[in-house]
Amino acid sequence: MGKYILKRCGYIVIVFLILSFLMYSLYNLIPTDPARQELEPMRQGLKADEYEVLYKQTRARMGLDDPLVVRYLRWMGLWKDMDGTFNGIVEGNFGYSNLYKRNVIEVIQAPMGNTIFINIFSTIAALGITIPLGIYCAVHKGKRFDSVTQVVTMLGYSIPVYIIALIFMFVFCVFWRIFPIMGQKTAGAVYANAWEEFVDMLYHICLPVIVMTFGSLGGMTRYVRSSMIDALSMDYIRTARAKGLKEKVVIYSHAWRNALLPVITSILGWFLGVFSGSVIIENTFSLNGMGKLYWAGLNNLDFELVLAIQMFYSVVSLVGSLLIDISYGLVDPRVRVDK
Amino acid sequence: MSKKKGFFLTRWLKRGVMGSDQEVQDIMKEEQVQTPFKTMLRNFLSKRTVRVGLVGFILIFLFVLIGPYYWVLDLSDQDSTLVNLPPSQNMMSIPSELKGKIADIAAGRTYGIAVDTDGHLHTWGYTKITEKIDIGNIPDEVQEADLVMFAAGDDHVVAMDENKQLYVWGNTRLQQGNFSSEMKKGMKDPDDPSWDIIQLEASNQFSAALSSDGTLYLWGNTNLADIKLRKQYQGNIAKVALTSNEYICLLKDGTVAYTGYKDKGSAFAAIPEELSGKTVVDIASTSSTVAAVTEDGQVVVWGNPKFGENRIPELSSPVKKLYGGRFHYVALLQNGDVISWGSNKYHQAAVPASIQHGADVREIYVGNFQNYAVLSDGNTVTWGLKGFVLGTDSLGRDMLNRIVNGGRVTMTVGAISVIIATIIGVLLGGLAGYFGGHADIIIMRIAEIVGGLPFIPFAMILSAVIGSRLDPTQRMYLIMVVLGVLSWTGTCRLVRAQILAQREMEYVTAAKAMGIRERTIVFRHILPNVISLLLVSMTLDFATCMLTESSLSYLGFGIPLPTPTWGNLLNGANNSIVIQQYWWQWVFPAAIFGVCTICINMIGDGLRDAVDPKSAER
Repeated sequence: MGKYILKRCGYIVIVFLILSFLMYSLYNLIPTDPARQELEPMRQGLKADEYEVLYKQTRARMGLDDPLVVRYLRWMGLWKDMDGTFNGIVEGNFGYSNLYKRNVIEVIQAPMGNTIFINIFSTIAALGITIPLGIYCAVHKGKRFDSVTQVVTMLGYSIPVYIIALIFMFVFCVFWRIFPIMGQKTAGAVYANAWEEFVDMLYHICLPVIVMTFGSLGGMTRYVRSSMIDALSMDYIRTARAKGLKEKVVIYSHAWRNALLPVITSILGWFLGVFSGSVIIENTFSLNGMGKLYWAGLNNLDFELVLAIQMFYSVVSLVGSLLIDISYGLVDPRVRVDK
Repeated sequence: MSKKKGFFLTRWLKRGVMGSDQEVQDIMKEEQVQTPFKTMLRNFLSKRTVRVGLVGFILIFLFVLIGPYYWVLDLSDQDSTLVNLPPSQNMMSIPSELKGKIADIAAGRTYGIAVDTDGHLHTWGYTKITEKIDIGNIPDEVQEADLVMFAAGDDHVVAMDENKQLYVWGNTRLQQGNFSSEMKKGMKDPDDPSWDIIQLEASNQFSAALSSDGTLYLWGNTNLADIKLRKQYQGNIAKVALTSNEYICLLKDGTVAYTGYKDKGSAFAAIPEELSGKTVVDIASTSSTVAAVTEDGQVVVWGNPKFGENRIPELSSPVKKLYGGRFHYVALLQNGDVISWGSNKYHQAAVPASIQHGADVREIYVGNFQNYAVLSDGNTVTWGLKGFVLGTDSLGRDMLNRIVNGGRVTMTVGAISVIIATIIGVLLGGLAGYFGGHADIIIMRIAEIVGGLPFIPFAMILSAVIGSRLDPTQRMYLIMVVLGVLSWTGTCRLVRAQILAQREMEYVTAAKAMGIRERTIVFRHILPNVISLLLVSMTLDFATCMLTESSLSYLGFGIPLPTPTWGNLLNGANNSIVIQQYWWQWVFPAAIFGVCTICINMIGDGLRDAVDPKSAER
């Protein structure tokens, strides 16, 4: 198992390097020229040929004329920078955000916390609902409750999450006025202590989390249900029942453990979907999260910021796939992942 | 080998779903056994959800396929007088109690106002100017007064009672109700000859009143409109016509003059030469053109005609009276004919046949897009814009038009993305599955990486980085390609798994034994057997691609505005004002889109159950 994890980690590092190189190249397609930007203020005071010389010097100083691979490695912090030090992502320097006029690392700290918080929250909520619901539907297949759930889940995964958000906003913010319509804290609020602030934040992210959970219910419930039905139709279930085992034991111990495996596979895709979806949710509800930041960065062509966030998303997806692989081994002892 | 009949794709499809050749079918017929195709079709259609989905999807599909020919998309279309109108059809419905009792009508932007022979005021249509301001809230003093004259502007109504008092209601925040001192003087002293008002006009945030001695009073929002009057014309004016932010005057000597201060800056100041030496008897205006009727009944139009306001049709007799709407003119001829020209977008220039020739028309009232003809017997005939079935958006565009055309774009993008994704998926999946080994490992690793990428952020960055240099049409193609390139992994996996299973079948061994090339075996022998499953995944992917496109467009990184898609119609919807007050702007696109994807998913689910009976047990 340990060897396998190491192998997967190595694989992840390679994939991450490839991905980040691709992203960096893509980013370099954008016609920008930092050297010209830097020289622009003193352009008036210089003659054309002087400016040209200075411009060439600046380009050389900034390392803009080096090959793409070298610039990429510098950005990653794996190649000596112009001043001879390593200063890149590996060293914790994610670049400078033009939009916020601060280092990217400072800009993304708070939103990253928010996004992870919201996503984990809604993931737990969604799993907590979908798994029991899926199992119940599978056991009571064909009953009225099951058919109703089938229809509702169909709606859930057919309707885009922003439409669900709009409907929920209409119902809970306009019609009933239970939740605030957007934002992350009460405007102008002064908090007595951190706890109050936290409660206020919870109150504000309640609706987004509900929407995210609701939006991800559909696909997952159907998946749990179908893999559970598969498991329940197996011969060993009949054997277990014939032995006179309690129905509870049959369902949860015999069927569910076998049904869990395909479910785990789909959780990765689904978890990534939740992260992707949070771009939409954060924008719809004006939450200060990575998705919102990403959106703002792209809209304002702040590509160092965008690149850093893109790296964050890539890391989430890669680590996610690693976790899935590991949990495979944990859940099903038959799976010899080492092989 | 004998030459095969038909296009290879249709052949595949046939083989894929029928699964056998002619000879075998004959044997089956003798045994009274259904072909697999018939079984599938029966299974497919036996489920109610599938039937519902199929009917729903076909209806929506035909709607967005044929609809755009009827509701033609005009990307430059926008109209500030029609913004945020709710769904309604009552803009021309004159209240029934007015029947035969109409004394005077003033037709405004989207509303009408009339006074009956008993002196009561009635309003109809969409009278709200903003959330707070409603033309329908007629002030009490106006209700009580006996009105003799009134005019409806874009956002306010001006009225005068028999004591020559002026009233303004509606939007009065931009000085629409600020009377000048001369006017106040006139109102105090009704016998003043310079306050013998014979004409009241109201336009976009400004109004005009003209007295019988030729004095013109103009008031309203001076920032928007050129509503000053050159001194030499004062006291010499016979009629005034207001455009959306300028005006022209008919002088008492029968000439037309631009009497404002803009002078050469205005398109109306260039009085056409055709009018020189002729006496003008009537003038009228649309929002951007003016027209004059000469003594011999001819019409001359000048200004900035945008919708053919200057294309005057052949007149069967001289013009008696001329009326201007927002983009069209209506003329009452001396022989009683009514004729209209200009923009006919809302059928406002389509005069009903009943009054086209020689009907006894007493008076015609022309609003922005509405026309009311009152006949001598007291009946009214109306034509023009009744309202919008699904309302209008924040730029005054018809939601129905946007939804129909947006549906076409969304479906096209979805379909082409799915085709791209399927082609890539089948190619790579086929290669990986059949050849295995290194090809398999590399392809499946790539698939794993691509499939593992967070979809929406990645599509956003591709669209933003590459799309920044493209024009809107190219950007649409870009979105199709991006969606296709990012969503082929599912198909690839499916094809690979199927081919791994099929590879071991006897017919492949037989084909190999016959010495058929491997490429031919994969794509011509194995693939047709996979095609029914492929069809299922394509159906479900179609819905997914539409969803993703709409999500991207909703975030502003998909198809750029003003091209409508179901996603970017909802782009501006996530603020409380739209959600609350302009519900029609998000409910209708969301509803049709939701129904469409639900139908497609129903079909896809049903198809899967039909093709793979094992899944039907689930």
